[in-house]
Amino acid sequence: MARKVAAVAGGLTYFSKARRDKTQEELAAEAARMALFDNDIDLGKDEIDGTIVSYFSDHFENQLLFGSIIQDYLGFNPKPSVRIEGGGATGGLAVRDAYAHVASGLLDVAMVIGFEKMSEVNTAKGNEFIALASDTDWDFPIGGFYSGYYALMARRHMEEFGTTEEQMAMVAVKNRNNAQHNKFAQTNPKMNPFGMKDGGKITVDDVLKSPYVAFPLKRLDICLMSDGAAVLILASEEKAKKITDTPIWITGTGAGTDAMRAGDRPRTLAGVPILPHENKQWYKKLEYPGVHSFRAGRESARQAYKMAGITNPLKQLDAIELHDAYTSSEIQTYEDLGLAKYGEGGKLVEDGVTAINGDLPVNPSGGLIGTMHAVGATGVMQAVEMFWQLQGVAGKFHGSDKTQVKNAERGLIHSHAGTGTYVTASIMER
Amino acid sequence: MTEVYSMDPLIIKTPYEMSYKHSYGKTSKFFTSLSAGKLMATRCDHCKFTFLPPRADCPYCLAETKWVEISGKGIVHTFSTLYFSGEKFLKDLPFQLVYVELEGVDTLFLTRLKIKDKNSTKIGMKIKMKISREPEWRSSDVWAEPED
Ligand SMILES: [Zn+2]
Repeated sequence: MARKVAAVAGGLTYFSKARRDKTQEELAAEAARMALFDNDIDLGKDEIDGTIVSYFSDHFENQLLFGSIIQDYLGFNPKPSVRIEGGGATGGLAVRDAYAHVASGLLDVAMVIGFEKMSEVNTAKGNEFIALASDTDWDFPIGGFYSGYYALMARRHMEEFGTTEEQMAMVAVKNRNNAQHNKFAQTNPKMNPFGMKDGGKITVDDVLKSPYVAFPLKRLDICLMSDGAAVLILASEEKAKKITDTPIWITGTGAGTDAMRAGDRPRTLAGVPILPHENKQWYKKLEYPGVHSFRAGRESARQAYKMAGITNPLKQLDAIELHDAYTSSEIQTYEDLGLAKYGEGGKLVEDGVTAINGDLPVNPSGGLIGTMHAVGATGVMQAVEMFWQLQGVAGKFHGSDKTQVKNAERGLIHSHAGTGTYVTASIMER
Repeated sequence: MTEVYSMDPLIIKTPYEMSYKHSYGKTSKFFTSLSAGKLMATRCDHCKFTFLPPRADCPYCLAETKWVEISGKGIVHTFSTLYFSGEKFLKDLPFQLVYVELEGVDTLFLTRLKIKDKNSTKIGMKIKMKISREPEWRSSDVWAEPED
């Protein structure tokens, strides 16, 4: 029987287009210091039994086995450590792996260390490295570029369901404007000393008028590229209760996968894996997943809900941090997570349900569009954010109470790689 | 000599180049058939499923597949016009990517659409695959054009 596992501490760095002031390991130390010293805990560094190191690319720094450098730099030798990599889902998979390490009894207290430094190559080269995480025999050589892949999927979602560019723009506005109350956010120049100078609030009109990168996606529909780090500490039930009065339990976790080449995914009539609150009749005419939906996201949610006993996610969840690599993929993910019927994700944001003061706030931190996407740190950042939300201390860490979701008791974190190749979702509860 | 980008903090430039001997393995036939003007896919007779890009092994039943020739005719399933890309393709911008549904193929095939008026691209539009006469031995040796 798996042991109960809780999050007990979290830490983040300021996120930035380029943190040239520090190396990767120095950024990781900045986040680890916050986790150990700025959370209300009774935990010494020596009580950490091992680490799970989370980073995506060996190319950005041209350094292999960076996990060893981190382990040494943070002073954890000779304790166990493992590196987790799963594209954009690296961070979420690392959190899930740390959960497994603690639940199984391999570790009592585990530190997840996520980081990425993407600024040492130019943006086009960075995009090329990211595109190397698509099929390099078939998809990359024709001009492969992740924004292009997601644009193809978004255009098909528009065709299937009538989703609009305005609805996508609303996602960008929501997340970007939430980020203006989070001091860690890259688009928040008022609170983040490393923030982008042309950050700040935006409107739907700003998004619609921003230049196309890959139709229908425009510059402001697309997430950031960032430098930064995030650290989360997990502990067994026995340890967690000694470390903190407010442990946040991980009560469910799931993971799903799909074909690297999205074109290879099935288009099965009535093929949607049904969630408890759904009716199979809804989707009897839908070919699934095709390139309009993320089957791996649905599968990860299905498992996590089952494990946590969630039968109606829209009612039973109080907050979500999800992987908004693109505004379109946030809308697609609403549907995969069962927050809206397939095809009605756009309406969810339009109706304000996912706004910070809505029924189910999504990405109160600002997400990948407003706050950061330092790939290996991203999923860990989401877990740290949800941990602070459920402890009710988000305002203290963010430097503004406006990001705190009132009385949040249960939340979901969602981490997603390459057009939905790897997706993981976990449930956290007070 | 090492190029210095900044002194505080100290930032140096480190170039890095390499060349791989990359094998296409059993899918080589796709590329070598192009010079004969043939567009080949692979088929699993057991699962009655045809793959393009080709796979030597069927992911559903793990049987070995066989080669079949396809017509290269099809329709646009979805499209995007790119105005930015990875470093390697910046020189080609803007260009259009499409997933196409090809006759006799069960997967969608990702390729470029070469079309005079990019605003006229539509989902459902008929296309025909074209083959380059100057092979680069890459998937970009084929592309879609409107079928008129
Ligand atoms: Zn088969």
